[in-house]
Amino acid sequence: MGIRRPDVDIGLFFQILVNGLMSGGMYALVASGFTLILGVIQVFNMAQGQFYMLGAYVTFGVASGLGLPYPLAFLAALGSMALLGVLFHFSVVQWTIPQGFFHMMLVTIAFSGIIGQISLLTFAYDQGVVTPVIVGTLKMGSVVVGWSKLVVIGGAILVMAALYLFMKTKVGTAMLASAENREVAELQGINAKRVFWVTMAVGCGLCGIAGSLIVPVVSATNTMGMNVFVRSILVVIIGGTGSMSGALVAAFLVGIIESFAFHFVEQASLLVIFAFAAVLIFFRPGGLLGKPLPVPGQ
Amino acid sequence: MNRTRGVFLAALIALLLLLPWLVNPYVLQIVILTITYSMLGLAFALSLKVGLPRFDVAGWWAVGAYATAMLTIKANMSFWLTIPMGALIAVLLGLIIFSVIIPRGMMVFLLFGMVLTLGIQQVLTLNFFGAWSGPGVVQPPAIGSFLFNQKPSLYYMGLAFLFLNVIVYRALFVSRIGRAWNAIGSGLKLADSIGINVVRYRIANVLIGNFFLALAGSYYAAYNQAVAPTTFSFPSTVYVMMYLVVGGLASNLAGPMIGALIVTFIPEYLRMAREYEPIVTGVAIILIIIFMPRGIVGVLEEWIGPRLSRTRILGSLFKPVREGRPSP
Repeated sequence: MGIRRPDVDIGLFFQILVNGLMSGGMYALVASGFTLILGVIQVFNMAQGQFYMLGAYVTFGVASGLGLPYPLAFLAALGSMALLGVLFHFSVVQWTIPQGFFHMMLVTIAFSGIIGQISLLTFAYDQGVVTPVIVGTLKMGSVVVGWSKLVVIGGAILVMAALYLFMKTKVGTAMLASAENREVAELQGINAKRVFWVTMAVGCGLCGIAGSLIVPVVSATNTMGMNVFVRSILVVIIGGTGSMSGALVAAFLVGIIESFAFHFVEQASLLVIFAFAAVLIFFRPGGLLGKPLPVPGQ
Repeated sequence: MNRTRGVFLAALIALLLLLPWLVNPYVLQIVILTITYSMLGLAFALSLKVGLPRFDVAGWWAVGAYATAMLTIKANMSFWLTIPMGALIAVLLGLIIFSVIIPRGMMVFLLFGMVLTLGIQQVLTLNFFGAWSGPGVVQPPAIGSFLFNQKPSLYYMGLAFLFLNVIVYRALFVSRIGRAWNAIGSGLKLADSIGINVVRYRIANVLIGNFFLALAGSYYAAYNQAVAPTTFSFPSTVYVMMYLVVGGLASNLAGPMIGALIVTFIPEYLRMAREYEPIVTGVAIILIIIFMPRGIVGVLEEWIGPRLSRTRILGSLFKPVREGRPSP
């Protein structure tokens, strides 16, 4: 692992930037789903990364295996992950809510282990790649960027915008209200049980979308879930626990920093964002910005 | 009453001391592993007492193990000197990190613990550290000319460390500090209102945990005579959580140890196909949490607890304590 000399190259600069924005978009989707579930149901969902991986594999299976067009595969990934999230909620999470935060967390870890092993047995070490929707590259002077990557970034931004609008609807407001204060929300006639499973569906569906978006560019592997989850944890720390807008900004920041760090120090790029998070937590303990959702514990 | 206690205690001590003659070396090896894991579980349970689930267990364990390995390999230091060195590194480094992290609250501590484990593991994969293996790479500990390189002697050494660990925790739990921790565990605002410095007590708690984690790491390096970054990965922290849940969170001392014993031994004996083991483990954990949330010790407490609690030593081991469970 040697340290390369930084060579000033505007084309390279933009490629690294686009890669950073692309992974930042993925972190934003996974981390905002995570934050939502943590804030509303107060479940520390360690299985978040696995939903992302499954989303990628479902897209790969539907698009390459069944030969259906990519948009259909995208919808399939979104639907199946949201459904899996709801199933997970009804079969496991809802029964462990009385046991408290720590037990719920372990349940999600166990679930994540089960999914990880099942997918390892099913897909082995297959690497799934899907043909991108738009093939080719965008050329502007010395800047050459693949269209497929821009589609991923655009898709991530669109989904975040949709999530923003969704949070303004009645269901979204109910979710935020029960995150704020569960008892008072129930007193206002909000059905907390329904809010919980909707939250689970949205949170896990976001991961499915993220996996589905990335699979035309980066091939689906078994370890992708854990890799993204680790970065999402960093994103949540940097953005402030429970802050959705903070997570969004932090995700793109982490993506870009990691992308540039990877160019210079390769393996140690995780250490660079780790150091960044450590410094940030020292100076801005409350996160980058925004009013956070209340999260369990003090 | 006194007789029951005496008999039980004598039987337990005799069993532990005679174990190397009672079981074959393979089982003894797993028992040695269980001792290390028990120390990890105890550290986790200790911090849970003040409402901080710590996910950096594997990280500090690695610090102890690598301190011993690197100091014996590169500086040719005696094993007994590397123990305080490793503990010192873990405690000082912990002091710097935790004095920033702990005032930020439980959730930041939890998230940062995960990141810390991964960060330490990443550091260890750098060329300077790396993996060290092979017989005699890490020199076995010695007193005079006696070498701790056989399983029975290593077992006794581990037993002594575990005993020290339990004694120190017991002494802390009954002291002023332990009562302050209990108060913090039952309610932060309450503890604050009666004049307990929550942050300072939490830092003290976590640093004491760090000390014993580093000790467990030194011991691990000594008996394994090899260290590799992959050992100290995130899944090993998850296993530590499993000890607590299987053993039961209700007890601070017996729970983690019993849990470690069960979780380490059962997969060795089930001998199921390797690829299905994580699935079975996952399903078992979910079932245990749903149907037996208080763990084995919790069940024991309900069945034989009333009789056991009459014996003072075991009674104090099984004594229920309020869990440091974060309140929503």
